[in-house]
Amino acid sequence: MNPTDEAKTRGESDAGRSSTGRSILRETERFALLGVWLVLIVFFVLMLPQTFPSVANLSNMLGSQAVLLILTLGLLFPLRAGDLDLSVASVLTLSAVTVASLNVNFGWSVWVAAVVAILAGVLVGAVNGFIVTKFDINPLIVTLGIGTLVVGVAYIVSDSRTITGVDPTLSDVVLAKPFWGIPVDFYYAVLLCFVVWYLFEKTAFGQRLLFVGQNKDVARLNGVAVNKLRWISLILSGGIAGIAGVVYVGTTGSADPVSGAGFLLPAFAAAFLGSTTIRVGRFNAWGTLIAVYFLVTGITGLQLMGAQQYVQQLFYGGGLVIAVVLSKVVRNRTEKSQIAQQE
Amino acid sequence: MGPGLILGHTDGSGGGAAGASTRTTLLEARGISKAFSGVPALRGVDLTIEVGEVHGLLGANGCGKSTLIKILAGFHQPDGGTLLVRGTKTDLPLGPRGLRDWGVSFVHQDLGLVPEASVLEHMALDSQVASGSLAWINWKAEERRVSDLLERFEVAVSPKASIDSLRPLERAMVAIVRAVGDEQAKENREHVPQLLVLDEPTVFLPRHEVNQLFALLKRLTSQGNSVLLVSHDLDEVLEATDRFTVLRDGRLIGTRATAESTRDDIVFMILGSRNEGSERTFVESDETRQSRVSLRDVSGERIRDLNLELRAGEVLGVTGLAGSGFEELPELIFGARPLRSGELEVNGGVVKSANPAQMMQRGIVLIPADRKSEGAAQELTITENLGLPYLREQKSGWWIGWPKLGKWAYGVCQRLGVVPNDVRLNFGNLSGGNQQKALIGKWLEGSPDVMLLNEPTQGVDIGARREIFRLIRLAVDQGMAVLCCTSDYEQLIEMADRVVVLSNGSFQYEVVGASITKSTLSSAVYSGDAYESDR
Repeated sequence: MNPTDEAKTRGESDAGRSSTGRSILRETERFALLGVWLVLIVFFVLMLPQTFPSVANLSNMLGSQAVLLILTLGLLFPLRAGDLDLSVASVLTLSAVTVASLNVNFGWSVWVAAVVAILAGVLVGAVNGFIVTKFDINPLIVTLGIGTLVVGVAYIVSDSRTITGVDPTLSDVVLAKPFWGIPVDFYYAVLLCFVVWYLFEKTAFGQRLLFVGQNKDVARLNGVAVNKLRWISLILSGGIAGIAGVVYVGTTGSADPVSGAGFLLPAFAAAFLGSTTIRVGRFNAWGTLIAVYFLVTGITGLQLMGAQQYVQQLFYGGGLVIAVVLSKVVRNRTEKSQIAQQE
Repeated sequence: MGPGLILGHTDGSGGGAAGASTRTTLLEARGISKAFSGVPALRGVDLTIEVGEVHGLLGANGCGKSTLIKILAGFHQPDGGTLLVRGTKTDLPLGPRGLRDWGVSFVHQDLGLVPEASVLEHMALDSQVASGSLAWINWKAEERRVSDLLERFEVAVSPKASIDSLRPLERAMVAIVRAVGDEQAKENREHVPQLLVLDEPTVFLPRHEVNQLFALLKRLTSQGNSVLLVSHDLDEVLEATDRFTVLRDGRLIGTRATAESTRDDIVFMILGSRNEGSERTFVESDETRQSRVSLRDVSGERIRDLNLELRAGEVLGVTGLAGSGFEELPELIFGARPLRSGELEVNGGVVKSANPAQMMQRGIVLIPADRKSEGAAQELTITENLGLPYLREQKSGWWIGWPKLGKWAYGVCQRLGVVPNDVRLNFGNLSGGNQQKALIGKWLEGSPDVMLLNEPTQGVDIGARREIFRLIRLAVDQGMAVLCCTSDYEQLIEMADRVVVLSNGSFQYEVVGASITKSTLSSAVYSGDAYESDR
């Protein structure tokens, strides 16, 4: 028997043996967060039988997080390409005050204002991408700077004030016509989830983006236009953050240059926590959906039980760190099993 | 296992003077066994290393040699067996420091050096570990100690030099001196022999510098130390070792004296089969063959005004000294490095501002030298890695048909004998040889006109290497043109129809057909004059 044959049979039995054991582990891992979420829901339903399972609470939880979910889904594009975009929350702010200011102060149609706001987001993304790819600078620094600059612009646009009285037709479309008791913006967010899922899992674009994020040299030597894709992903995150800003104005009817900043950390927490479920180790749409609602379930439940504002920071901050640690642990384990398998 | 070796004087050069007469055993491993989740990796292996010898450890990928090394280093715990150092039995299991406290030191392939730090800082780091982390560092004294140490082993490197300013050879030497010398200086026990374990130290070294590394090993052994050299390279083993041990499929095949063994013997021990000594035939590169790639006065980073013609159905080898520019050529043609000047023609058409995507469309593919960081994304699956260039063709309607793509990838792996062939596994689960087979198979799927190879069998065991040559040969017989850039002469002798030797970025010699031998190549590479005299 020649050695390659020996190696082959050994390798096959090796793969067959470990893959059943490993696939059970892998499946548990994939749905772990979903399971924890369900446990959390059951816990709160038992603890708060009057308030937690009510239609009003459910509607509030699902609807209130649509903006965050949309924003995070946009953030997934640069994250998948291996770039951090810290400007998304600032873009959301800029977009929101642009809609409000153009509509209220200048009397523009709210729809035209919305389009302008989204284009402003696209522009910010394009500037980010331009600087990152043309000068080969770490996007973390670039988007941190541009994001701060954008908040400055938002202060100028809003004249440092809260702008109220935005045309209620926007709210009608975004919020006021609940479907099965759930605000419509939740369905928009789920629709976007479908789109992102399709792009990531089923298209060459999503696959190339993944390779860019994993290893830029490999992508480049396989004919992938690395910088073009990084640029596109930053434009998409800017544009989608712009959409999130419009939806935000729709839900509140007003905009100010401050409150958007509160979305940055939750978005990163949700994106990273989402990467520990469904498609473990990868940023993915459905994982993000689960992560966003897992976090809000915990926060809402604890608040209903009497916890104060601080619970938000605890949950989002803790969630981000735990998510990052979890994904590192998973990676280390696969590495270890690889080392063991090689010899 | 053979106590009382009658050896040592066979190799007259280095170690003759110092203590070669009384050989004693430095390290003895008896019946070491180890299994991973029930699959045996080592089945009762014996290994005996004498004082003052360079001992080779050989075998194909997966034979168990890395497992054995990792057991000595304390990374794995053996399931059974005994370890004796200088006749003293060690307590098993070894702690996380392995045999390090027993005077055994390890240098791994990646050397474990930080590019930005200096030689001195690396070595001071070790003595800091010994003297406590808050102790005052006397930099003057440290520098004196380090330069003494470097001098003693005749390594001409300044202690203040930062690692990234050193050549690969110098880095390897620093890593070795650091591993061995520091241990001696620290313990102040120069008479206690040390064992240095070297895990494929020469993979990243240019060919002509390997000898200098071996000279350093000779200096080590002449001072009474021993070396265990893990290697895939048979020439290296024949040249540098006194004895060697071969493992196959986790079993000990035997330990032999190098001077009494031939290359064929070793191959037979490693593979369990003889090399089929089939006579090679050479393809002649002439006008009747279609030109695939032609370079006209091309300049790149190192390459200067190079003219080259690659024709259908031939294997053109390109070699030279490190830094002569041959390493740059594949990426230059592929458009992955900027073309400074000159003209690049592919299939008769001039290419302006080349990029990889465009070159792939024109039927050119590249297998990069560094599989791990440039060949494939190790944390993505085999299917994803193989499918990346073919996503458009493999699309079914609006979707990527993942099941279909998986089946296709499985077929590729099956045909090339890639194991394990579960295509849902991460690419990083494959061993070096299997990775390279999978990558070559992936690109052959697109039936390219031209394949650019950069050091295609670096760190690949000889079984996989043979398989890779066979695959490439098959495609070449169908008319594919191959450009193989390598410093491995053996590979050129086996594969190339003609070889172009570069010097300082320019064309120096062309060696054609049967005259491609080790001596012509090495003379052509080193200097023009030697080439003339050395037949």
